[in-house]
Amino acid sequence: MEYVIITHNLTKFYGNLIAVNSVNLSVRKGSLFGLLGPNGSGKTTIIKMLTGQILPSSGKGDVLGIDVVSDPIKVRTLVGIIPEQETPPSFLTVMEYLDFVAEIRKIPEIEKKAAWWFNYLDFEDKKHVLCKDLSRGTRQKLMLTQAFIHEPELALIDEPLINFDPIMQAKVKEFFVSYVQKNNTLFLSTHLLETAEEICSDIAILHKGDLLYSGSMSKILEENRHLSEFFLSLVRR
Amino acid sequence: MSGLFLNMIKEEWRIHSTMFGSLNFALFPVLICAIGFMGTFLIPLIQNTLTLTDLVILIHANYLMLGLMVGAFGLLGNEVMNRRFGQASLLAYSARTLPLTPRYIFLTFVLKDTLYYFFLWILPLGAGFFIASLVIGIDLMIPLRLLVTLTFSFLSGMSCIFFLSTVYERSARLLGIILVLSGLIGSFYTIYYGINPASLFPALLLFTTFNVKNLFLTLLTLIIPFIAALLLYSPDTRNTTKIYENKMKPLIHRLRFIPYPSLMVKDMLDLWRSGSIIGQVIFSFFVPLVVIWFFLSLLDEYISILQLLFTFAMITGIIASTMYTWITMFDSLSIYTVLPVDVPVVIKSKITLFSLLQVIPALFISGICLFAGEGAYLFPVLVLTLSVSFYVLAVMIWLTGLSPSVLVYSARVMVLYFLLIGLILAIFSSLTMINPWSGIGAVLLFIPAYEFIKLGFRRWDRVEQGIF
Ligand SMILES: Nc1ncnc2c1ncn2[C@@H]1O[C@H](COP(=O)(O)OP(=O)(O)O)[C@@H](O)[C@H]1O
Ligand SMILES: [Mg+2]
Repeated sequence: MEYVIITHNLTKFYGNLIAVNSVNLSVRKGSLFGLLGPNGSGKTTIIKMLTGQILPSSGKGDVLGIDVVSDPIKVRTLVGIIPEQETPPSFLTVMEYLDFVAEIRKIPEIEKKAAWWFNYLDFEDKKHVLCKDLSRGTRQKLMLTQAFIHEPELALIDEPLINFDPIMQAKVKEFFVSYVQKNNTLFLSTHLLETAEEICSDIAILHKGDLLYSGSMSKILEENRHLSEFFLSLVRR
Repeated sequence: MSGLFLNMIKEEWRIHSTMFGSLNFALFPVLICAIGFMGTFLIPLIQNTLTLTDLVILIHANYLMLGLMVGAFGLLGNEVMNRRFGQASLLAYSARTLPLTPRYIFLTFVLKDTLYYFFLWILPLGAGFFIASLVIGIDLMIPLRLLVTLTFSFLSGMSCIFFLSTVYERSARLLGIILVLSGLIGSFYTIYYGINPASLFPALLLFTTFNVKNLFLTLLTLIIPFIAALLLYSPDTRNTTKIYENKMKPLIHRLRFIPYPSLMVKDMLDLWRSGSIIGQVIFSFFVPLVVIWFFLSLLDEYISILQLLFTFAMITGIIASTMYTWITMFDSLSIYTVLPVDVPVVIKSKITLFSLLQVIPALFISGICLFAGEGAYLFPVLVLTLSVSFYVLAVMIWLTGLSPSVLVYSARVMVLYFLLIGLILAIFSSLTMINPWSGIGAVLLFIPAYEFIKLGFRRWDRVEQGIF
C-alpha cells in the first residue's frame, strides 16, 4: 500500500496546552480522507504542521515522502492548501490573485485553467472585482481554485464546505469525489459528520488532541447505522 | 458609551498582550517611567551643551510628533482595517449592528486611542520625572506643569491629524489648499516678523507662561480642529463592487528581472489601491518632519544650521525607515502560507520595494538641504539620510521580521531598537560636527545592515509566523 501522509508521534504544545498528542496517521494514496473532531480538537493544528506553517513540538510528519520540517517549501510546491481562514489579498482582483499564484507556482496557461474554474464554480462575473469586496462564498470559491489550479496529487483542506450554499456544496462534493478517482488524494478536516459519511473513504477521529480512531468508512458503517452514532460513542466515553 | 468603550479597550489589550505576552507589554510603561526618571538626573550634566529651555522645546516637539504619528497610525490603521476587511472591521461592524451613530463610535474610538497612549507614554514619563524631582529637589510644580503641557502637545498632534485626515477623506484638493495656506502663513511669519511659528505653539507658551489666557488658547487650538474633524467625519458605507483592470500581469512582465516579481507587484497594488501611499506620505512622513524641522530650528541659537541639517537628515532617515510598515500592513496569514515561498523571499521583495520608496526621503531631504542654503553639503546629507534609513530597516527586520508593528508594544524589542539607533546617532552627530563630509562615512552602515538582515532571515525563517 502506498501512503501520501505518514505521521509519527506528531505532537504540538501551545504553552501547557497539548493541542495534538502523539498522533500516528497514515493516509492511503487515492483516498478521500476525513479528519473529524469537535471544535478545538486539533484538526487545524495538524493541517498547519503538515503544510509547514507551524513546527511540531515533537514527532515527525512525512508528506509525499518529504519530511515537512526539513523541507516545507518542497511540500508546499507539491500540494494544494486551503487554510481555515480564507483571506486572499485584499487589493488584488480575483484574476490578479490567480496570476499571482501562477507566477509563484510557475503554472503555464493560467488564463485557460482559470476560465474552467470560473465556469465550473460560476463566478466569472467576479473576475475583475477586488478580493475584499467578495462575499465569503466567493472567497471560498477562489481559495478552492488556487488550491487545485496546479492539479496537485494531494490537497489539504480545512473545513471545506462551511461558506457554501447547498447547491455549491453538492457541486464541490462531486468535484472531490471525481478528483480522487483520478488517483489523487484529499485530506479534509471537518466537524460536519454528514459530509464525511457521504463522501469520505477513510476517516480519523480526533478529540482533545488524541487520535481516537483511524480506519475505513465502510467498516464503521457495517457496524453502525450512522457515523454520528459511532462518533458520539467514542467521544463521550 | 462605557460598554463599547470597555470592549474596545479589552480588544486592544487582548491583541497586544497575546502578540507579545502580557508581561512584556505591561512592562512598557514601566520602561518609559524609568527613562523619565533617569533622564532627569542627566539634566544637570548636559546643561552645558543643551539648555533647559532647549530640552523643554525638544520634549514638547517629541510629544507633538508622537501625537501626529499616533493619530496617523491609528486613523490610517483604522482605514486600513476598514478597507482591507471591507465591512468586517469592528468599527464598521458595530456601526451596522449596534443602535449607535457612526460618529459616536468614531468619537469612542478616538477617546480610546487617546487614553491608551496617555497611560502608555505620557503619564509614565511624567511620573518618572516627578519621582526624580522629589529625589533631586526640583520644584514639584515643574513636573506637574510639564505633565499638563506634554499631554496638550500630544493631543494637539492627534487633533491636528484627525482634522487633516478627515479633510483628506472629503477632498484631497481641500487638504492641499490647507497645507499650502499654512505653509504660506508660516513663511510670512518667519519673514516679516522674524518669528519661528514653532515658538507660537500654544502648549509651549503655556509651559513658559502658565496662566489662564494661555490655557484657554491651548484648549481652543485643541478643540476647534477636533470638533471640525467630528463634523466632517463621514463613514465609508458604500458597498462597491468596482471593476478593475488587470495590472498584475503587465507589471510582472515589466519586472521580469527580479525574482518573484508578483510578490512586489502585490505590495505595490496594495499601497496604491488602498489610497494609503498618498495618505502615508502626507501624514506619516511629510507633516511630522516639517513640524520637527521648525522645532529644531528653534534651537539654532545654540547649534549651527549645518549641525541642525545633519541631525535632521538622521531623523528623516529614521522616519523613512518606517515605510517598511506601510508595505507590511496589508499582509494576512494565509497569503504566503499556502504558497511555496519562505520568509526570506518575502522579506527580500519588501526590501526591493522599500528601496524604490526611498526616492521620497531622498527628494525631501534634498529640498530641505537647499532650503537651508547648504546645497554644497547635499551629497553627505543625502548619503547619511539613506544609510540611516537602510540601517534602521535592517534593525527592524532583525527584531520583528515581517511584523514591524511589534516594535511599539514590546519593551524588550523597543529597548534594543532604541539602543541600536541611539548608538549610530551618537557616532554620526559627533563625526559630522567635526567634519560635515564625514556624513559620507555613513555608507559603512550598509555593512551592519547587511549582517542584521542576514540574521533576520535566519531568525524568522523557521519561526511560526503567528501574526505573519
Ligand atoms: N496559536 C495558538 N495559541 C494557543 N493555543 C492555540 C493556538 N492555536 C490553537 N490553539 C488551541 O489548540 C487547540 C486545537 O485547536 P485547533 O487545531 O484550531 O482545533 P480545531 O481545528 O479542531 O477546531 C484548541 O484548544 C485551541 O484553543
Ligand atoms: Mg479548525
